[in-house]
Amino acid sequence: MMHFIAKILRLALVILMGALVLSVTWQVLSRYVLDQPASWTEEAARFLLVWVGVLGAAAVSYSREHLAIDLLPRRLQGRRALALRVFIECMVLAFALVAMVIGGSRLVMITWELNQLTPALGLPTAVLYLVVPLSGALMVLFSCLQIVTLLSQSEPHLSDSDTAMKES
Amino acid sequence: MVELALIGVFFVLLFLGVPVAFCIGLATAVAMSLSIDWLAAVTTIAQRMAGGINSFALLAVPLFILSGQLMSSGGIAQRLVTFARSLVGQLPGGLAFVNVISCTLFGAISGSAVAATSAVGGVMVPAMEEDHYDRDFSAALTATAATTGLLIPPSNILIVYAVASGGVSIAALFLGGYLPGLIVALCLMVVCAVYARGRDLAGVNIASAPPIARSFLQAGPSLFLIVLVIGGIIGGVFTATEAGAIAVIYALVLSLIYREMTLKDLPEILLRAAQTTAVVMVLVGTSIAMSWLLAFQNVPTVVADALLSISDNPLLLLLLINIVLLVVGSFMDMTPAVLIFTPIFLPIATQLGMSPLHFGIMMVLNLCIGLCTPPVGSVLFVSCAVAKTTIERMIRPLMPMYLAMIAALLLVTYVPEVSEALPRAFGFYQ
Repeated sequence: MMHFIAKILRLALVILMGALVLSVTWQVLSRYVLDQPASWTEEAARFLLVWVGVLGAAAVSYSREHLAIDLLPRRLQGRRALALRVFIECMVLAFALVAMVIGGSRLVMITWELNQLTPALGLPTAVLYLVVPLSGALMVLFSCLQIVTLLSQSEPHLSDSDTAMKES
Repeated sequence: MVELALIGVFFVLLFLGVPVAFCIGLATAVAMSLSIDWLAAVTTIAQRMAGGINSFALLAVPLFILSGQLMSSGGIAQRLVTFARSLVGQLPGGLAFVNVISCTLFGAISGSAVAATSAVGGVMVPAMEEDHYDRDFSAALTATAATTGLLIPPSNILIVYAVASGGVSIAALFLGGYLPGLIVALCLMVVCAVYARGRDLAGVNIASAPPIARSFLQAGPSLFLIVLVIGGIIGGVFTATEAGAIAVIYALVLSLIYREMTLKDLPEILLRAAQTTAVVMVLVGTSIAMSWLLAFQNVPTVVADALLSISDNPLLLLLLINIVLLVVGSFMDMTPAVLIFTPIFLPIATQLGMSPLHFGIMMVLNLCIGLCTPPVGSVLFVSCAVAKTTIERMIRPLMPMYLAMIAALLLVTYVPEVSEALPRAFGFYQ
């Protein structure tokens, strides 16, 4: 199930990234080839950037490739290392839940009620911001899963959790 | 109180190993909740994150990331090394020069110091060891030389600075980065020359190196990317952001011709670029939220008053700013450092008569040094892994290289012409 969600997420990122490249390329081409620059390309590309950036953060969360200083986690071993890794996941979860899901949802609702439209494409601004709670929800999901995995991994090995951690 | 919470939460989480972007975001959320209603605070953070990324200038970042990754294959690194080898290989200490030049060129093309370290280091460290260079020296040299590519366009960190400074032209910054980048490379080569003389290291046998013309023809198409990007911007053919798209198309065609990839690999490459973009953009989004809070709390004015009360001597104050940035750079990634500290230090610098262009180049060069400084320097770790050595063993050979980079930093800090001459010559700067 989780694998399936991650797969869809990655597919979406490939499409969004491809579209981003194409829309900026089209902006240059349309100016020289058609002699009439397309008016929608800049806005579309900026939207795609927000979506790639924020939605991509969930994918990076899934593969746990966010930039971090791992001096301490690498030095600890056994139960302490496990506790720290669970704590780190909880912090990621806290930010995703509070700022991205709750803050993001409220942002979407406010802009939806104000009925803000973007100048060139005429899309509701709420659609642009929708990616924040969406990505946040995925991150919450991935973090919960990771915490469960970490805790269940350690249970049978509590006595020699040291080796269990090295393998994971 | 708000500032204390911000700094406290940030450092504790950072030290514990929470991803940097989340440290910044959580510290901002906690601190902001102390001064305004928490629901309003998190909504503001969400808005600043998405709104901050929504910028046409930043669009160049994913594009240069993608073109850089397309150009990061081992084949291109090998061709650049061969070219540099036929250029300077026969000099005494030739291989060390080859390492510096290859790192600079590869760093510029790929836009990533980490990519340059692993690609060039993977080729050069074993080659240098075979020629009796100390492995720790080679590792240290690769790490420091790889950062020079960040000053030479296309450069994503200069784009981030353009956004943070609120309006320095990317074209001017790109042109301004060339000389300082080359100066750092030259300073590092001086270290190499002294090292080679001390150890009596000869150059590579000239017969074993291919003729310059042929190796240039092989490396030329990859190097042309730099010319294409900057040429198009100077010529007014396209904007810096559009140059990114052109770079992607060029790099794609090139790697298909060189058979470094097939079209089947494209989705995988797009995904990788999207994820690298996301790592940068989350940092951008949360840093912009933190920077907004700092402005809201009037921190830039407070810091400016405090600094200006210490002294009104510009030379001293610039030195002080540089020292603070060196410390910041040793534990913080470049992107958040630029986004958070530009609004704080740039007003002081302009008050001291420094142009925003000059300040940006100085700041990026300064933070480049941080990339190869313990405890955190990401480039240092990669170099360490590539050369299979330890940070502790690299410290000694790193010392003269730090001195060389700091000499370059002082030159860039106190001689504005180094950063401003080229942009002015091409009319991108008054």
